[in-house]
This record gives sequence, C-alpha cells and structure tokens, in this order.
Amino acid sequence: MLNKTGPYLFLIILLILIILFPYILPRFQLRMVNEIVILTLFAMTWKMMLNEGGMFSFGHAAYFGLGAYASALGWIHIQDLSFLSGILLGGLAAGFVGLVFGAFLVRLSGTYFALLTFALNQLLWGLAWKWRSLTGGDDGLGMFPKPDLLGISMQDPRNFYYASVIIIGICLVLCWYFTKTPLGNVIMSIHSNEERARFIGFNVQVSKMIFLAMLGFYAGISGALFAQFQEFICPTVIDMGRSTDVLFMAYIGGTGHFWGPAVGSGIFVYLSEYLSSYTVRWELFFGLIFIFIAVFAPQGVVGIIERKK
Amino acid sequence: MKLDLSTLVIQFLHGLTYGMLLFLVSSGLTLVFGMMNVLNIPHASFYMLGAYFSYQILQMIGNFWVSLIVCPVAVGILGIIWETSLLRRAHAGGHVQEFVIGFGIFFVINEAVKWIWGTQDLPVSLPEGLSSSIMILGRVYPVYRIFILLFSFAVLALLAYILKKTRLGITVRAAVSDRDMVSALGTNTQLVFMLVMGIGSWLAGLAGVIAGPFVNTYPGMAFDILVDCFIVTVSGGLGSLLGAVVSSFMIGQLYSFGIIFIPRFAIVFGFLFMAVVLIIKPSGLFGEKA
Repeated sequence: MLNKTGPYLFLIILLILIILFPYILPRFQLRMVNEIVILTLFAMTWKMMLNEGGMFSFGHAAYFGLGAYASALGWIHIQDLSFLSGILLGGLAAGFVGLVFGAFLVRLSGTYFALLTFALNQLLWGLAWKWRSLTGGDDGLGMFPKPDLLGISMQDPRNFYYASVIIIGICLVLCWYFTKTPLGNVIMSIHSNEERARFIGFNVQVSKMIFLAMLGFYAGISGALFAQFQEFICPTVIDMGRSTDVLFMAYIGGTGHFWGPAVGSGIFVYLSEYLSSYTVRWELFFGLIFIFIAVFAPQGVVGIIERKK
Repeated sequence: MKLDLSTLVIQFLHGLTYGMLLFLVSSGLTLVFGMMNVLNIPHASFYMLGAYFSYQILQMIGNFWVSLIVCPVAVGILGIIWETSLLRRAHAGGHVQEFVIGFGIFFVINEAVKWIWGTQDLPVSLPEGLSSSIMILGRVYPVYRIFILLFSFAVLALLAYILKKTRLGITVRAAVSDRDMVSALGTNTQLVFMLVMGIGSWLAGLAGVIAGPFVNTYPGMAFDILVDCFIVTVSGGLGSLLGAVVSSFMIGQLYSFGIIFIPRFAIVFGFLFMAVVLIIKPSGLFGEKA
C-alpha cells in the first residue's frame, strides 16, 4: 500500500512545499532554492547526455553560458524583447550551437568526445573573455532589462521564483517525456549498442545530433534564467569551473536517477554556500566528497537512498 | 614591434623552450593514457607538487641538483600510491568514475598546496651556473632556457631508448596495442601499470622541478598546465610519444608567435588547434585508435 502511494505522496508534499517556499523561507534562502531550481535543469541535461546518451560531456558550460550571453545580449540590444522571448532566444542560440557542435561531436566517443567538448567550450569562453566590445570581457554584462512576464513584475523575487519554477518544471517534464518518445528510445538503443542500432537502420549520427541540440536548448534555457537570476553575467558562466560544477551536481546526486540532478544541485548550492562561509579552502572538501562518492557510492546520493529501501 | 630576424629567432626559441617543457609534462600523461586508457588528471597536480617540493628543498638546502633528483622520485612514489589505492578501484567503473575521482584528487591537492604554501607566487632563484645569459644575434638570452631545451631533449632520447630497446618498453608498447593479449601471455599487467604510473608521475615531477625557476611556483600552475597538456596529448594522439613531441612543438610556436601577431586572441589558439585536429582527424595527429 505504502509502496504504491509513497512516491505520489512524496511528490504532492514536494509540490506543496515548492509552492509555499516563498512564504515560509527567508529571502536569502529563497534565493538559494531559486538557484537550485535553475541549476537542476542544467544538471539534468548533463545527466541525460551521460545516462541516456552515453556521452560524457566535459564542456557543458558552453550551452549554459551561451544561453546566458545570448539572452542577455538580446535584452540589451533588441527593443522591448519580452521575458519569455529572451529566455527562448537563449535556448535557441544554445540549441543551434549544440547542433553545430553535435555535427563534429557525433563521430567521437569516450575520452576524445569529452575533450572535444572541452576544447569547444574553451573556445567560446575565450570569445566571451576577449570579445570585449560585445560581451564586456571580464567586466561582464549587467544592467540588462528585466521585462515583466504577462504583466507580472519579475523584479519581485517571489514572482521570479514562481516563473522559474514553472519554466524549469515544463522543461523537466519535457525531458522526462523525451525518454518515452521513439527518438528517446533510439538514443537509448544507440547507447546500449551503437552498431546494432545502425544495423537495424537508425540514422545514428542524425539522432545524436538532434539529441545534443535538444540538450543544448534546455541548458541554454537554464543559462538564460540564470542570467536574469543573477542580473549580471561574466565569463565564469561559461568557464571550465562551471563545467566541473555541473559534473559535481549530476554525479553527487546520482546519474542513474531522474531525481539525481535535483538532489545534486541542492547539495551543491547549499554546500558551496555554507562551506565557503566557514573556510576559504572549501574546494578541498568538495574534492574529498567527490572522491568519497566515486569510491563508495558511484550511484550518487539518490542511489544510496534507493539501496536503503 | 619591429619584426627582424633576431626577434623571430628569439621568439622561436621561446616557443621551443615552452614546447619542450610541455612535452616533458605531457609525455607522462600520454604514456599513462596509452597504457591504461585513463586520462590521468592528477598528473597536472603532480607537476605542481614537483615544483613545490623543489621550492621546499631549495629553501632547506639550497641545491638545485639535489632537488632535481629527490623531488621527481617523491612525486613518482605519490603516483604509485594514487594508482594502487584509488585509481585501481575506479577502473572497473569506467571513464566517468576515473575522471571524477581524478578531479577529486586534483581539487584536494590544489587546495592542500594553497593551505601549506599560501596562495602567492613563490619566486625560485635560478640554479648556480645556469643563472647567466648568453648573446644570440645581439639579443640577451638566459642560459636556463637553453638548459630546459637540452635537458628535455635528453629526456626525450632516454624515453625513446627505453620504449624501443628495453624489455619494459617493449612490454609497454605491446600493452598499448593489445592489453589483454599481453596479460594473457603471462605479464603481470598490474605491476606494469604501477610502474608506468610511477614513471609518468616521475616525469611530471621532473617537469615541475625544471619549470619552477622558469614560470615561478604558484597554485594555479596545475590548472594552467592541465589545459595545455590536454591540448598536446589529444591533438598528438593519446598514447603516441611522437605525437606529443610534434604537437608540443606546434603549441609552443603557436603561443609564441600568436602573441606577436594576434595578441588578443592568443589564448584561444590552443583550443582552436585541438578542435580542428579532432574534427579533421578524430584520433589525433599520430593516434591509431579513436
């Protein structure tokens, strides 16, 4: 009985909590929850690339940062660009680049794949850093407009929180739904045996490209929301540190589970917030947690909880 | 800047020196990858540890040559400990687990170094006898850079000799092309793995000691070299020593001349090079298997 209703009960409680958070949490806590929500989608795209697609990305910040820069530039340079169009612009820009990168990436696998994603990411980072006239270099971009969404002011953190929960929620549902679609099944069959999938007659390369473009799109949406969340962006949204952060989130949470990225980004945001207030050497503890998880619980925190049951 | 012959020659020498230093670091990385199929991220930390150990020894006894012998050995032992205690456990979990655990070690060593030695640059004085300069085409050129050049060539020759002529080298080369067969023929591959990791880390430590007086010793040096090492080993072809030599040389020159001609975008040249190589030839310039 409990086994059947348990997950639904948990979901309903979680949903109620998410709705109530702006009223029960102090402002800075709400900010952290908001950040977790936004980063969850980013971590989800990384996790899907590994778990569903079998591809290990070490340059995932490229899509996130591109989404952030594209939407911020859109809000700055395009007159009266609405909130949603700006977010969509970020997603589409990242998705397009995901498609272009994908064309090169699909031929590689394993370490070579990871390192090409890394090189492409670093190229974009170099552009963000050095193309000062467009991106502002390391001074970053700030002061971009924060348009209202359907007449609701996004300046209010509560409204912005609800807006990001809804946008991210829709994207997460779409991510989940993707695994049920025919294309999703093709991707998973390519992961389990690429040669077999090719023999059956699927177009492996095009399927992978579409998959990468889609993940790029979602990561871009996450980045665009992050830009509005921070109200300021600089090259750190697209650097290698961001790429290792997302790896941390997805891996700690558990790459084999749908909820892994959410749990992982929660742990990440809270850990980095509290550890960094205790010690400047907080990355030491990050590293130790990394090693500990990799040695003793490669399935991540969600994996530990599942095993306990 | 006026572009005359002496500028070009000096710039070429700068590029060559950095390229050879880069080769020294990445040779170990590429050796380990070819043998064990592991992208050994702590390698860059070992390089940094070599530099810091050397700084410590120079503080205590002040003899560069002693540190050149002692520090790489210490780093090599650390490498063996890392292989036997952690990496071996992660090997079954595949690339991602090795990668994650390697990054964990990378973070820990990075922060530990900041904790012990502080975050500031530590100036390392040039060793006696190598601190002077010579004149090349009317320009002053430091002898220490010439030393780096010659020393790296010597290491390259030594490595080539070991790989081509000795029993260990033949085993390693055989294992690079078919690990399971070598194991089936009765070679203790675990032991060979351990030795290769030891030698690889020893090379990283050696490069660190050499690099200390050249680039100064600072906590970001592991990260900086890691990025360049990725570029070199991947574009050369993971596991190929010749590839590492050729691409180190090219990267050295690319940086050295890039900074003259297009200073603004010099930092992206390496990545551009790597991306173009991987796109055109996915296994790298001299790599056999992708």
